[in-house]
Amino acid sequence: MKLSWKPFVLSLAVLLILFPFAYLVLLSLASDWRFPDLFPSYIGLKNWSKILSSETGLLTSFASSLLISLSVAIVSTVSGFLISRAVFYHPKKNTLTLLAYFPYILAPVVFAACLSFFFLKMGLFGNVMGVIIAQFIIAFPYALLFFSSFWNKKVKSYEDLVATLGGNRWQTYIKVLFPLAKGLLLICFFQTFLISWFEYGLTSIIGIGKVQTLTIKVFLFIKEANYYYGALSCCLLIFPPIVLLYFNKRYVFKKLA
Amino acid sequence: MFLEIQNIVKNFGQEQVVKNLSFSLDAKKTLSILGKSGCGKTTMLKTIGGLLSPDSGSIRLNGEDITHKKPEKRNIVYLYQEDLLFPHLNAFENIAFGLRLKNIPKSIITDRVNHMLKSLELENQSQKMPNQLSGGQRQRVSFGRAIITNPSLLLLDEPFGSLDAGTRHRMQGLFKNLSKEFEISSLFVTHDLKEAVLMGDEIGFMQAGNLKVYTDKNEFIADPETGVEEEIKFWGALAGLEKNVDLKKH
Amino acid sequence: MKNRTNNFIISLFIAIGVIPFAAAFVYALLYSFGIIGIANDGFTTAFWSAVWSSGTFFQSFLYSFSIALVSITLSVGGALWATLKFRKQLEQKFLSFILYLPLAVPGIVTGFFTFQLFSKSGFFSRIGYQMGWISQPSQFPDLVNDVFAFGIVLSFVTMIMPFFLLLFLNVYKNERVEELSVLAQALGANAKQVTQRIFLPILIKKTWVIIVLYFIFLLGAYEVPLILGQESPQMLSVLIIQEIKQYDLDRISEGYVIAVMYTLIVSVAAILLFLPRRKPAYET
Repeated sequence: MKLSWKPFVLSLAVLLILFPFAYLVLLSLASDWRFPDLFPSYIGLKNWSKILSSETGLLTSFASSLLISLSVAIVSTVSGFLISRAVFYHPKKNTLTLLAYFPYILAPVVFAACLSFFFLKMGLFGNVMGVIIAQFIIAFPYALLFFSSFWNKKVKSYEDLVATLGGNRWQTYIKVLFPLAKGLLLICFFQTFLISWFEYGLTSIIGIGKVQTLTIKVFLFIKEANYYYGALSCCLLIFPPIVLLYFNKRYVFKKLA
Repeated sequence: MFLEIQNIVKNFGQEQVVKNLSFSLDAKKTLSILGKSGCGKTTMLKTIGGLLSPDSGSIRLNGEDITHKKPEKRNIVYLYQEDLLFPHLNAFENIAFGLRLKNIPKSIITDRVNHMLKSLELENQSQKMPNQLSGGQRQRVSFGRAIITNPSLLLLDEPFGSLDAGTRHRMQGLFKNLSKEFEISSLFVTHDLKEAVLMGDEIGFMQAGNLKVYTDKNEFIADPETGVEEEIKFWGALAGLEKNVDLKKH
Repeated sequence: MKNRTNNFIISLFIAIGVIPFAAAFVYALLYSFGIIGIANDGFTTAFWSAVWSSGTFFQSFLYSFSIALVSITLSVGGALWATLKFRKQLEQKFLSFILYLPLAVPGIVTGFFTFQLFSKSGFFSRIGYQMGWISQPSQFPDLVNDVFAFGIVLSFVTMIMPFFLLLFLNVYKNERVEELSVLAQALGANAKQVTQRIFLPILIKKTWVIIVLYFIFLLGAYEVPLILGQESPQMLSVLIIQEIKQYDLDRISEGYVIAVMYTLIVSVAAILLFLPRRKPAYET
């Protein structure tokens, strides 16, 4: 009988994927974990209980990250959707699309470095509003391009149909276009949320250390060589997306079925 | 006249798709228009429906000049070959769609939609989603959705083009009945010769952007351009052949 | 009326999607020629020739290019192989959810985690010690902040391979590769021919734009090389930010020179990639 190697490789892959999550949780529970110990001498909720105290500022960071990412995701998804319609029905849509690809393809951190002068002049340096606007500028092209395939002939026909049935523009959006694009809107919201939630370089430049999102915190802890708090911030950074991913994926699958 | 089209011209770039289109239609009548694909019939319908604006010419409906009116104000419904049912609404809500846009009281909508479902022989399908309906059923819902808004004019662009022969035949009968029941004025575009003759009170023939409307069916049949004569010859010859074969057998 | 609204929306698009990019580019360009900037006094090509002659940019570009190329090749190759071998198993509910998990990990966490595992006093070093392979941390090989960018490449691969695997599984289904393969077999193709003539061409053809796009993203990656990179050469984004954040004012202008060159390169790439009316078949 031939022994199949596939199950072993698959199990190994699953372990490899799950390992980082387990390791980070373990590290966040640890303290005093020195070389060459394979396991920490202390495992407990000491670090986690510190979150609740304001000493580390992690709770505030979590809240401001959430505020920033939700704002960026909502604004860029909605504006991306509405503006993409005009862009992709436009006779010059190829040129417009290309223009949108420039900011999309450029590294956000370099973009931010070249934009920081203007943010400084507009008083958007080192505050939450500035970070939201800067992140919006990089999330918007993503959202816009995301909807390019939605505005096809068929959707145009739906719009025409609603018009001849007597619907105005507002009704077309509310009753037809939004419901038709519901799945895509949800995915776009999720993706732009992640773009913002994971953003570090641009945030560090525009926020100049005053706007402390979770990614900024992670990096600060790494610099301080405080790996336990670093891991803890990583956990806070990773688990909301996993929850979102779980719901998002389930939703996408239901639609496909 | 109820609908009067005068000297409509529509170009796309260099190409003149509709050339100096003029015709008229009485109320509660159906003009069927025969034409091959690419002859400009879709452009003509979309121009009348207000989805495209003509380069020149005028459109009058019921005495009013509607040439520059927005599509949603014209009360003309344009129906595609595809049924274009809203995938997020069930059959009932698809039919009710146009009424809901107009903020008509719920009880009236329910009554009218139920009545329509009955006329369409779809009473038992009202709660089904579009993907649970057959091709013919979907096309019927699409008709109901248009007719229930009581449009002044219905524009049909190859409405049965994607249906199989049997379903198509039944739908033709159903549309005739609906036209009578709801007193519909319509332009019915098709590339099927038989369908054109069957559906229209009047018949037109469209070729390379020009539309010719015939005063009666005999004139339509007599015109060699329409292809009716050729069709008659073909079947005649075939029938003759069959006769010969039969004779030989005996 | 309709046109006026449309024009308004298009100008909104220009305001959000085009002007910031143009402004950033022009600002960097002016700075690089000394026309603006605190210590600069008028047009000069000194910064450009300084960058040109020092070779920092080319070193950094070559280094970034190689890292991105190796990472993309490994990721795409691995994902293709996994699609070929494990397609059926990966459709199971549990496994398909597991596959999505890596997408929830940002670059900064991947970098941090890789550091925790592979640094001199990291997890693998400890295992090595416990097994008796090394007797002190310094004996553990350089795997992070190293010359060959092992840590960076490993991080990139773990970040994007799962994404490509999901993408390929998706394309496989949507392009009906299964049916086409059966058809090819019926026409007499063997397993190897099916892979070479059906599976690979279809998957690559449908996704090459996205593959190139990810290559460009890796070229400009910041967080991972910031944590795992070495002193010199550095990846482009790290180098640019390091120069711009200098106290030495000449170096700031040189940083903008590099930023301009980098922007030009990715812009040309964008033009080549997207101008000939090619849309990615699958939106990412």
